[in-house]
Amino acid sequence: MATSVINTYIDPSMSEWMNEPHSTGTSIMACEFDGGVVIGADSRTTTGAYIANRVTDKLTRVTDHIYCCRSGSAADTQAIADIVTYHLNFHKMELGEQPLVKTAAAIFRELCYNYRDSLVAGILVAGWDKRDGGQIYSVPIGGMVQRQAVSIGGSGSTYVYGYVDATFKPNMNREEAVKFVTDTLTLAMLRDGSSGGVVRLGVITEKGVERSVILGDKLPKFYEG
Amino acid sequence: MSILAYNGGAVVAMKGKDCVAIATDKRFGIQAQTVSTNFPKVFRMGPTLFVGLPGLATDTQTVQQRLKFRLNLYELKENRLMGPKTFSAMLSNLLYERRFGPYFIEPVIAGIDPYTQQPYICNMDLIGCPNEPEDFVVSGTCSEQLYGMCEALWEPDLTPDELFETISQALVNAADRDAISGWGAIVYIIEKDKITEKHVKTRMD
Repeated sequence: MATSVINTYIDPSMSEWMNEPHSTGTSIMACEFDGGVVIGADSRTTTGAYIANRVTDKLTRVTDHIYCCRSGSAADTQAIADIVTYHLNFHKMELGEQPLVKTAAAIFRELCYNYRDSLVAGILVAGWDKRDGGQIYSVPIGGMVQRQAVSIGGSGSTYVYGYVDATFKPNMNREEAVKFVTDTLTLAMLRDGSSGGVVRLGVITEKGVERSVILGDKLPKFYEG
Repeated sequence: MSILAYNGGAVVAMKGKDCVAIATDKRFGIQAQTVSTNFPKVFRMGPTLFVGLPGLATDTQTVQQRLKFRLNLYELKENRLMGPKTFSAMLSNLLYERRFGPYFIEPVIAGIDPYTQQPYICNMDLIGCPNEPEDFVVSGTCSEQLYGMCEALWEPDLTPDELFETISQALVNAADRDAISGWGAIVYIIEKDKITEKHVKTRMD
């Protein structure tokens, strides 16, 4: 499990998992389609090897049309998302209209870059605005920003780079994009110990967001050895 | 990370009415990555004798091979089957021989004595200290979760069918709260005249 937070006090009387920080081991993904973006995540939070929450929601609202997918330290990403939500809400009132996705990404970047030595956060910013339609901005550890048509993140993403490169095609329709995200996340959850649970999805278009959940028994079946 | 948690895995055994059951998950992983979903940690050492060897996977294989070697020699020399209590003593000796450079496994033994028909379960730490309770034994990276499940679900004198349900639910629900156990399960129900092997369908995450 990847974490670079150092615990200075370890209570020897407590079990190992009580001394570990909460980490969203995670598989997250975002994919553009014509009309918007599809975002997806697994639902597992671990403290060490113990699964602290098996129904986590890692798709977090920052505005009605902009969501972020969180990976890395649960505490860090929750704190960052709260601050970005505050700033965007204020900005929306000053601007008089919905903020741009690239603005949200820029605010995430300000925090993730300037506090890079204290944070462990890998974030996908995805949403819809009326200027550029559906967009995805990846803000990995360190705080760079990169716009991409499809983006994966979290510890589980390493197992599916090949699958994504082989399967993604631009200008998919909504159903194809949802199936692509579901299949990719299922494959990642199959291999990564830090990812699992259910697949949470979000489809963001001009109309706003539609959330859904795919439970364990309804996930697509792949070769299991 | 603890060396006993490098590969992950879980084993549990329970006593029932004139029967015992032992169950294992099937994951083989390297830290967070799952490499195989067909690596059971329970091995049949005699007609009604099973041993579970969760822990470091290389030691699971090595101890299984060395144990089988010692058991074969015993059965050839003595011309009789080895009972579970004797097997437990032998395994304890094997592990303590390596007291200052141990095998990283914490074994679980389950069996029915071939001559007295008594059910027997036992677990040990990695240097061979045996524990022989009357109810259930657990081992692996989700041992704490397993203790909770077993304590809640187990009751004395379960029939073989009831024991199967109980041990399966204990293993599956404990492994579902452990990031490095699971990915399939096998349950063995051991009675004096038959062994039932069931592959339990589990979450594969």
